[in-house]
Formats: sequence, C-alpha cells, structure tokens
Amino acid sequence: MLTRIVNMDRRYVFILVALAVIIPMLFSVSLPVSISQPTQNLYDYIENLPAGSTIMLAFDYGPSSLAELNPMARAILIQCFRNDIKVIALTLYADGTTLASTLIKEVAEEAQAVDGEDYVFLGFRPGATQVILGMGTEIAGVFETDLSGKPLSEIPIMKNIVNYDQIDLLVDLASSATPDAWIIYANVQYGLKIGAGVTGVMISQMFPYLQTGQLVGLMSGILGAAEYENLVDVPDKGMQWINVESFVHLLIVLLVVIGNIAYLIQREREES
Amino acid sequence: MKRQIPLALCFLFGVVMIFTQFSPHPVSKSIYERVISGALIIGPFALVLATITLIQTHINRIQRRTEHWGYSFVVFAGLITMVAIGVPFGPENPVFVWLYTNVQVPMDATMFSLLAFFIASAAYRAFRARSTEATLLLVTALIVMLGNVPVGDLIWNTILSWTGFENQASAARGWILDNPNLSARRGIILGVSLGVISQSIRIILGIERSYLGGGD
Repeated sequence: MLTRIVNMDRRYVFILVALAVIIPMLFSVSLPVSISQPTQNLYDYIENLPAGSTIMLAFDYGPSSLAELNPMARAILIQCFRNDIKVIALTLYADGTTLASTLIKEVAEEAQAVDGEDYVFLGFRPGATQVILGMGTEIAGVFETDLSGKPLSEIPIMKNIVNYDQIDLLVDLASSATPDAWIIYANVQYGLKIGAGVTGVMISQMFPYLQTGQLVGLMSGILGAAEYENLVDVPDKGMQWINVESFVHLLIVLLVVIGNIAYLIQREREES
Repeated sequence: MKRQIPLALCFLFGVVMIFTQFSPHPVSKSIYERVISGALIIGPFALVLATITLIQTHINRIQRRTEHWGYSFVVFAGLITMVAIGVPFGPENPVFVWLYTNVQVPMDATMFSLLAFFIASAAYRAFRARSTEATLLLVTALIVMLGNVPVGDLIWNTILSWTGFENQASAARGWILDNPNLSARRGIILGVSLGVISQSIRIILGIERSYLGGGD
C-alpha cells in the first residue's frame, strides 16, 4: 500500500489536478484576496498620476501567458481610462499584436475611450533592445505609424510626445526577460519609471529590482491580477482564476505531504 | 581579410559605443543615435533569417522523410495562410484575427496549460524529505505555494487565528522572496553582469572570435 502511494501512477495525479480545476469553476468559489505591497505600490503610483499623464503599456507576451497577463492589462487599462491617463500601448512580441489590439479595443469600448485621443496602439517592431533604446531618442523614429497605419504626427495623443521624457510610467506585462531589458535600457539609460506585471514563474527574478526601486511596483502572476482587479474594484477573470489556482496549489501541497508521510513510514520500516 | 574586417569593425563600434556612454558632447550623442537607428534595421533581418531557416529545416525534413515529416506540411499550411492574409490585409483583418483567436490562442494556451499537470506530477515525485537540503527545499516550496494563493491565508486565519497574527502564509512567502531569494538573485545578477562585461571586453579586443563562426 505504502509503495503504491509513494510511486503513485502519474495519471491519478493528472485526474486529481483536472478535478481541482473543473470543480471550483463549476461552483464559482470566492476566497478573500489580501493585497501585497508591490501590487499596492503600482496601483498607488498610477492613481497618484495627474489627469492627462501618459503611460506606456508594453504587451510583452503571447497567447500562452494570456490567462495570467490579460486580466492585469484589463485592470490597468480600466484604471487609466477612469483617471483620464493616456495610454500608449506597444509590444515587443510578434504574437502579442493581435492579442493586445483586441483587448485594448474591448476595454476602450466599455470605457468609451477614443482611439488616438485616450489611447494608441503602436503595434510590434522586431529587435527588443534596439526598439527600447531607439524610443529613448524618438518614438516616431521606431514606430512611424500606429497599428492601423496612421502616422504618429496625425494622432492627437502623440502630439507632444517625443521620447521617454514625456512618459510618466511604463508598465511591462511580460512572460519573459523583457522587464530586465526595459530596466537596463530605459530606466538606467533614460530614467523612465517602470512597473511590471509578470507570470508566476518570473516573480523571484523581479524582487532585486523592487528593492532597488528600479520597479515602482509589481503584479505577480494571477494573484497579482486578482489583487489589481480588487483594487480597481472590477472583479473579473483574475479573481475567478486565483480561486481555481488555490485549489490546485492546495491539492499539490496535500499530495506532497501524503507522499512524504508514506515515504518516511516506508523508510522507517525498511531501516528497522 | 574575411576575419580582419569584422574584427576591426567590432573593435571600432565597441570602443566608440562605450565612449558615447561617457561623453555628453553633441557629436558623441549624434553617433549614438545614428548607430541605434542603424541597429533597428537588424531586427527585421533577423526575423527574415529565422523564417528562411524554418522553411529550409522543414523542406529538409520532408525531403529526407524524417520522423513525423508529415507535420512539416502543417507548418507550411499555417505559415502560408497567415502570411497570405496578414501581409496584404494587415493584422487587423477580421479573418486574420479570427484565425489568431480561434486557432493560435487555444493551441498556445493548451500547450502551456499542460505544464500544470506535469508540474503537479513532478512536484509529487521530487519533493521528498530524503536529506536536510531536500527537506529545506520541500518546506520552502510548500510555504511559497500556500502563500501564493488566498487559500493559504484563509487556512492560517482559520486554524491559527489564536496566534493573534493574520495572513502569515502570504507574509512568510513574502519574507522568503524578499530575503533568501533576493540575496541569491542579486548574487546571480552580479555574477552574470561581471561575466557579460568580461566577455564583451574579450569580443571587442578580438580575443573571443567564436561569433565569427568556423574554426581559427
């Protein structure tokens, strides 16, 4: 019996994980979410920007990380449109173009934000480092037009924007090392303030930048998305999925504990 | 000559670009800006190169009838369809958006979601208290896993409310990320940075030449 538990067939684990995902979704469980300091800091920073400020929103992720990062993007866009903060969106990921464009349009429609006046989506340019450095000199030198092909000079929101000097904050929503690139090339080189929202697996990499103040705030994985939705008071997918994730984490913890108890008893018996 | 010219160019651009970082002179600034806008052109070339390599790889697979060569046709079907719609009509074309939303997004999301199953199975097998180090790793992982979801604090506040402290699961996770994790990460960042600096100097001075390809 103990051996069977210790060497449990992984298909049983798969079935249990599937159930831990499906059941909470069917019963819409709601757990209380407390706000972590890095998420609160990012929210406060944007909240304290005066109306008419401009932030850059980088959608540096593809469909594989959509579940964690789209809720963050949605919550930030809602906060910006609500506070009359202009949004210049872009992506360093070819895969992120359609994803970002669809989401921005969706949120803009709900918030009645106007394309070109309240927000603009510049689209994608290849070569992350060169794009980040290039915009430090002149944004129009890198993105001559927005995604629809309209020259930046004809877009009202871009009228007084030349480079990072006119940007109050960049929020990088990332599934890879792009926050490091933004910090190294845009923050250190040009003094651009940076916040980030990253996938769960990347959280540990970001903490050194939080401590040095190179990141003004951080949303960590789906928990960060849920916390931000809580802060802007628009509960959506983040809140729904963090509850599902809770059950999966709980299941893994239980499995690990049971597996270890069985393993220790088995070892004790073998030794005696 | 085939090697000397690239080495000379590398030395020249390397030294000049380092110099531009320390000089606020307008000439230095102008050189920096020109080089950066030149570098922007390299990005699209890399993209074209990657596409050509992808096509060549899959043509080879089909010609040599390697294992699962039939799937290479699927690669070409996807590539041709998206290019045929995306290039002339743009990324906002409804058909392009439909294909992206209903084909690429579910496929990518599915691939990534499978990780949850494999990680759960791997965690069950790997996190065993076989030694002191393994036990330390196991305990840390359990704390971070519980602290990373609201249910961790809920359990703490329900079972351990008598301690008088609240939300200690997320607080413990925060402490681990803020202290041991941060110290280790900072060490790694410093080590990698020093490595990058020394490697850059070797490349600029022509000591490291592997980027030129081929042998000496």
